[in-house]
Amino acid sequence: MRRAFLIAGAEWRLLLRSRLAMIGLVSLLLLSAIAAVSSASHMGAERDLRQAHQVETDELFEAQPDRHPHRMVHYGTYVYRPVSALAAFDPGIDPFSGTTLYLEGHRQNSATFGAVRENSSLMRFGQLTPAFVLQALAPLLLVFLGFSMVSRERESGGLRQLRTYGTRGFEILLGKGMALSLVALAALMPALAALAWIGMSVPSEAGSAALVGLGFTLYLLVWVVLILAASALVKSSRASLVALVAAWAVIAVIAPRGAAELAGRIEPLPSRAETDLKLAAELRQMGDSHNANDPFFTAFRARLLEEHGVERVEDLPFNYRGALSTQGEALTSRLFNSYFEQTAAIQRAQAAIITRISLLSPAMAIRRVSMAGSGSDLETHLAFLKQSEAYRFDMVQRLNGMHRDQLSFADDSARSRDAAAERRTRLASDAWAEIPDFVFVATGQEDRRSAMGLAFLALAGWLGLGLGLCGLAARRIEEAAP
Amino acid sequence: MMAILREARLLFRTGTALAALLFLAVFSSFAVATGLHEVSRQEQAISSMIALQETDAAAVRVFAGQEAGSAAYYRFHATWDAPSPLAFAALGQRDVSPGLLRVRALALEGQIYESEAGNPELALPGRLDFAFVLIYLAPLVLIALLHDLWSSEREAGRLASLQVMPGSRWTVWGARALVRSGLVLVALVLPFLAGALIRGAGMAETLIFLGLILLLVVFWSLVALLVAVRGQRSAANAATLAAFWFVVTLIAPAGANLVINAVTPIPQGAALVRENREAVHDAWDTDRNATLARFYRTHPEWSASEPVGIAFDWKWYFAFQHLGDEHVTDVSKDYRNRVALREERAGLIGWFLPPIAIQRSLHQLARTDINAQLAYQDRVRAFHARLRHYYYPYLFVPKPFTPEDYDKAPQFSDDLANPMTAPR
Repeated sequence: MRRAFLIAGAEWRLLLRSRLAMIGLVSLLLLSAIAAVSSASHMGAERDLRQAHQVETDELFEAQPDRHPHRMVHYGTYVYRPVSALAAFDPGIDPFSGTTLYLEGHRQNSATFGAVRENSSLMRFGQLTPAFVLQALAPLLLVFLGFSMVSRERESGGLRQLRTYGTRGFEILLGKGMALSLVALAALMPALAALAWIGMSVPSEAGSAALVGLGFTLYLLVWVVLILAASALVKSSRASLVALVAAWAVIAVIAPRGAAELAGRIEPLPSRAETDLKLAAELRQMGDSHNANDPFFTAFRARLLEEHGVERVEDLPFNYRGALSTQGEALTSRLFNSYFEQTAAIQRAQAAIITRISLLSPAMAIRRVSMAGSGSDLETHLAFLKQSEAYRFDMVQRLNGMHRDQLSFADDSARSRDAAAERRTRLASDAWAEIPDFVFVATGQEDRRSAMGLAFLALAGWLGLGLGLCGLAARRIEEAAP
Repeated sequence: MMAILREARLLFRTGTALAALLFLAVFSSFAVATGLHEVSRQEQAISSMIALQETDAAAVRVFAGQEAGSAAYYRFHATWDAPSPLAFAALGQRDVSPGLLRVRALALEGQIYESEAGNPELALPGRLDFAFVLIYLAPLVLIALLHDLWSSEREAGRLASLQVMPGSRWTVWGARALVRSGLVLVALVLPFLAGALIRGAGMAETLIFLGLILLLVVFWSLVALLVAVRGQRSAANAATLAAFWFVVTLIAPAGANLVINAVTPIPQGAALVRENREAVHDAWDTDRNATLARFYRTHPEWSASEPVGIAFDWKWYFAFQHLGDEHVTDVSKDYRNRVALREERAGLIGWFLPPIAIQRSLHQLARTDINAQLAYQDRVRAFHARLRHYYYPYLFVPKPFTPEDYDKAPQFSDDLANPMTAPR
């Protein structure tokens, strides 16, 4: 063990003296710091902005004048997807999905204004976030600093020398590994500090922050052992470098894109226009409110009349128009939910394909851990859409309830002929305050943990594989110089 | 010529070089196949939308075919941005911005920003299209093939004897570099040409695209040779080149994007659409004839129309819908132009980083860039204007509206969607 520390110390001194290694490490730390600060300030500003929009929108809603409640159904409201605390560390899908959703009666709109449509196309090259720096940049730096750690010794005869002093193969690898791990730790520091800071300022996120930190530590360890194994097993320094850079390109750059391409191909998603049109056609099948003789709405009227033992809708104890709106909205909302579940199921199937492929790429595995832990993955967006629809339905039905219970049918029918009746169909403005505000419930810690499960397993598997290869390499070293 | 044949034979005997070339050929073929599949999927989505929209319009015609206002209110119209012949090679922004949008004659600002139903987790890593293979992978392969052009011979102890061969400069190094870069070019060009042929791309744009491929290969070959000729060890050359590649294709664009966003603030889209809604809905609580008078200021041709009474009137309804759009015209234009400005500024980065400039040109040729997306929005706006102007005579004169008039409503046309046959 003492020998391993000696080797680590020697290697570390060598790194410190190498100008290139220092330039690499310093630029990584600098980039890490820039990424942490700019991401924190950008996502912080984004969070404040969306909160401000939400407050303003809610105030506008309550400040609407005396109105017919159905006007409020069409006026609707906006909800803005909140920014999770850890999104500053990994914004994940946040910039790639709409953040503003307009909620109105009878319609389900799409979330609009995602950053990706407001940025220059440079954004598609990648974003400078702490997660990106650790996922892509840090491994490459480790490759540059570590590719020749063992092969260099072999080429210069250093290995044979170490062996003549009785140093064991695993001690050599352990020493080199400790030196490289120290570099990895240095690279991790800014990110771990950012995670710790978020965990302390938002205690409810501390658990997730810790898991994300653990994930990245594991991820860089995977690279350390893979680099060591390559450096010891591949025949020359040059070949080791070429193999490692190629592996890096496949794991960190090609695999994520290939997996996304494959997922989209295996589970194709219909266009929004197609879904909307099919939904409209199905709605017409179920009940056409424009057709006076539509069987669904005729049956609904007949049932109401029978239930209340009256002959005409005018004699119902409530406003028939409001009841009709309530019934119609229930119908459309049921369809919206079923179509949403269909689309969500396809998207989840796509995500599951990506998760399975991430067994083959530690970079994809850590991305899953990082996004799930940060609450910036697909599930968060789907939860936002689902909760928004539930809120939309509740808001519209409360307004329809006011329409049904507080407005007289006679006034309602006469309002486009009789100015006094029109005035009576306007509810006093304080009614709008009865509609609760939208509160988004983020995906729970437990759900996030289970979303990370397979990815953690992948990282552990890769670590095991790397260690196995190192074991093999240690034996080779001893065989080569007994 | 002899030298080239000899170098080609030599290359095919080295395992790693052959593997690298094969790797590139496989990926560029795969990317072209993916692109072709994706483009045909986009075309299918468009034709399926058009067919479904016709069924929908026929259903709406049953109850709205007799009244211009109802028709204008209930009837959606399909608009689309058909993928260009070269879109397969550079899929660009089409995964995040809709290539199809259904609009009504209502206020447009509330409709035009709708998103496509995409999975953001698929958009996040980006596409594996031909442009990706060209910009990201081809340089890595060139680096792998060229970084040790001299150093491998030196490390094998053959450099001195090769250097003294007569006319060696060209016959050995020139031929060797040419063969390696040339084969990279072949691995890229052949799959691309196959795709371009299948899609029937125009001669001119195909040639320009080929020129861009050549430019990229030349750029990275020169960079690799410049580093390789300095006389460092193979490993040092490879590390320098890989680091340079990393900065050029990942770090610099990401950093530049941060700077561009910081110096180019953009109006809040969320505030823009909400402002539009406020303006539209306020009309219900405003004097109706005053609203109409405001509408006549920009549409004096209808100002002779009868004033409206207490009864609901579609002409008033559509007047205030349009006033809602007018209310935010300036912000809306500013929003659009700011997005364009960000993209324009990204172009400046290209002056320093040739690969970025090439990437942008590819997407421009393929009409899948942000400008193409904005141009499509402009076409939707123009179509929307035609649509509402079509209904105005029926609302303001009011000219009688029949199901035949319903059928004659303007349709978005493909010619309009692709006004340019030549690249911009």
